[in-house]
Amino acid sequence: MKAPFSAYLTALAPGLKQLIQLLRQKYDYVSVLSTDSVGFQATISQRAKAVSHETMTTERGTVVRVCRNGLYSEAAFTGFDPDRAEEAFGRITEELEEQFSLLETLQVSPYETAALSDESRTIFAEMETERLPEKEDLAELVSRLTEISDRGVKEGAEQGLRVIDCMTRASSTHICKMFLTEHQDLRQSYVYSEGVIALLAAGEERTEMAHTSLSGRCGPELFDRMAEKLSEAIRIGKDLISAERVVPGEYDVITAPEVTGLIAHEAFGHGVEMDMFVKGRALGAEYIGKRVGSDLVTMHEGALCAEDVTSYAFDDEGIPAGDVTEIKNGILKTGICDALSALRLGVKPTGNGKRENFAHKVYTRMTNTVFDSGDSTLEEMIAGISRGYLLEGMQSGMEDPKHWGIQCIIDRGYEIADGKLTGKVVSPLVMTGYVPDLLGSVSMVSRDREIFGSGGCGKGHKEWVKVADGGPYLKAKVRLG
Amino acid sequence: MSENLEKLLRVLKSSEADAWEVTETREKGWEFYLIRHALDQNRVKELTSFQVKVYRKTEEIMGSAGAPIPPDATETEMARRIAELCQEASYVRNPVYRLNTPEKETDAVPESGSPVDLKAISRDFLQTVAALPETDTEDLNSCEIFVSEIRRRFLNSEGIDVTAVYPRSMTEAVVNARRDGQEIELYRMYHSGTCDREQLTRDLTETMRYGRDKLTARPTPALEKADVILSTDAACEVYDYFITRLSAAAIYRGISNWKMGDQAAPETMTLRTVPQLPNSSRNAAYDSEGARIRERMLLDGGKVVGLWGNRQFSQYLGLTDSFIASNFVIEGGKASAEEIRRGDYLEIVEFSDFQVDAVTGDIAGEIRLGYLHRGNETVSVSGGSVSGNMSELIPKMAFSAESRQYDCMRIPAVTRLNGATVTGAV
Repeated sequence: MKAPFSAYLTALAPGLKQLIQLLRQKYDYVSVLSTDSVGFQATISQRAKAVSHETMTTERGTVVRVCRNGLYSEAAFTGFDPDRAEEAFGRITEELEEQFSLLETLQVSPYETAALSDESRTIFAEMETERLPEKEDLAELVSRLTEISDRGVKEGAEQGLRVIDCMTRASSTHICKMFLTEHQDLRQSYVYSEGVIALLAAGEERTEMAHTSLSGRCGPELFDRMAEKLSEAIRIGKDLISAERVVPGEYDVITAPEVTGLIAHEAFGHGVEMDMFVKGRALGAEYIGKRVGSDLVTMHEGALCAEDVTSYAFDDEGIPAGDVTEIKNGILKTGICDALSALRLGVKPTGNGKRENFAHKVYTRMTNTVFDSGDSTLEEMIAGISRGYLLEGMQSGMEDPKHWGIQCIIDRGYEIADGKLTGKVVSPLVMTGYVPDLLGSVSMVSRDREIFGSGGCGKGHKEWVKVADGGPYLKAKVRLG
Repeated sequence: MSENLEKLLRVLKSSEADAWEVTETREKGWEFYLIRHALDQNRVKELTSFQVKVYRKTEEIMGSAGAPIPPDATETEMARRIAELCQEASYVRNPVYRLNTPEKETDAVPESGSPVDLKAISRDFLQTVAALPETDTEDLNSCEIFVSEIRRRFLNSEGIDVTAVYPRSMTEAVVNARRDGQEIELYRMYHSGTCDREQLTRDLTETMRYGRDKLTARPTPALEKADVILSTDAACEVYDYFITRLSAAAIYRGISNWKMGDQAAPETMTLRTVPQLPNSSRNAAYDSEGARIRERMLLDGGKVVGLWGNRQFSQYLGLTDSFIASNFVIEGGKASAEEIRRGDYLEIVEFSDFQVDAVTGDIAGEIRLGYLHRGNETVSVSGGSVSGNMSELIPKMAFSAESRQYDCMRIPAVTRLNGATVTGAV
């Protein structure tokens, strides 16, 4: 079935179009983004259960963007009454004028930018889903998640693992967004879902949390596959409990797809967000057309280059979704860009202008960030390492676009000696280094690839949005601590 | 009371809910985004949200389900949503607990705080940023200023009706330093109630000095084990480890194995909750469940003497009088900052993202700038990482008598983690 577009937004549209006409009398450019996204999250463990209709992306509200004399301003609000567009116009202009008077008093001058173009565009996208979160049978889902949690404890014990608790979480969100200008009318509706199993396990001297997840641009049908992830969670729990500390140093490693995705995200994802180019905050600006990785490294970014949690039809500035080749055979080709930054840099926007929600500003943000596949097998890659680790599971990462440093906290390292896995596990691992060194050391790339969308991404330490990333197994040389 | 809140309460009272809670949050915000000192964008926001939680209970079982109710929902839409929530609450089977009840009338503070002057606070921030002591080689790259008035009203079926009004501000600043054609940046994020001009200027001036030093930093050598000193907001992560593990939720869920009387921290450490800290962004009289926020000792002499947390997990642990704390004070250091800094050590002032895992106790962070002190020599270093585990670090941990406040935490100004692992940059 197609995910139906919001009746609420449809009813708002005439009033918002009237508001745009009113604002156009005062401003050189006017756009409106209205959202109505609903969903649920069910969290079940042995010790506590909760059901909520709030997820990371549920929201309902409107943001108006205007431009006058080279300055962009925005007003975000809840509760728009389509029959009272003039009242909204009065409130918005009054509040913005109050800010303009302060800025004038303090003699703050604008970062002058031309008005965005408003070429005619219409999109109406209702994407496929099998089920809708708002129609899901939560009683049945809670019962299914409870069964998985119970099995986690029982099967863990059967395998010698003391499981303190097994938490299962299922969340599904039906996104509806409407972007309007004088000449544009864009509406989209899609559903994404994500599931997590987190197993809290205790050893003699330590407690560890083992995670597995699944995600997709699909409805709650995703959770039909959740039980299949339980054995993986138990295996990870056992590995973490028996893990030792790594001896710090430089190693040959193979990164599993989720670690490859973390590298893609932190190393070059953030590094080529072009709003950072405007501020002079990204080294990438100076490396376009230059080598940043080995010949085996090709990387894509865009809502169109995979089908996962952030594969939309258009971004929060009304730019259609794209697929950008950021790195081609080791050469940095281009970055990703929101509409305002593109205007300032004289390039085309790539469909990467995203807001945390309607109340937040647009920034250049990632969607799907993935390395391309190669032609090796995992077995060949392991056989090619005399001393190193197979790195699996990611905990977190932090970008450093200005200096191309990288910090990735990796969950587990599986020791490889003389071309074979030894069974020894180390955890956790802090992977650090200089991005071009890391990508330049990529010497083998596997044929298969996987994409993961169960996490969130911040810009600095705020502005959380959904992203997905991944790729194949990579063989590289890194520093581990 | 707004018309919509009246409608919502009417619907709740006539529903099948055995108990309910409503939080109405109104936020008015002003935002300014600067590139260098030019205005990239200005923004205003005016948001209203209703969060509703309904409960169904028997003598032994209590279920709940929550949802945001759009402020422009009709009474029919509200009734439909509340009916759905009542049904869903019956699937969620938790052991029974009690909702918070009103305080004695003499103790109650129905409304705390006063209206916030967004224009005046915004002016303070903009003027402070404009007047930073920049030089030809150290300056502001960009800055984002967020100022809000939060008006939060909490009501429940037991009769609580309290409102808190408070300012909440956030500033993100990026500082550049350059030398011989090389430019670096340092990132800062500050949370506060209003604008503290003096503190913001002092901290950003210090950040510019760090920028100068980072330009001349050498690669961090492989030290293996080293005494690491933290004297910036990264130290909050260390103390947050204690705070998180002292929460009723962490203990009930098995994330923390601490219990009353355990020696969880160094012997002189005290950790207490306080209702207010100067200019904290979290100064509200009541928590999100309507409980009065009070002062409570959690660690005394390093021993667990109290817990904090929401009513559900607190009651499961047998605590009847609990609240969700928002401001914390950690004290008890006997040595001065100068004494803590004796001997050889690596003082790390910039991490890419320093983390302390509350479950495992693992610490980790990439070093962006540190000062390596060996004998009489001090050199700035960059790169590599620090790691370790709190269970090994706590027994040898030292902290200063002097303190420093970071938004909702007042912590020792200088913290020393002896015997941490330092992986070099080369």
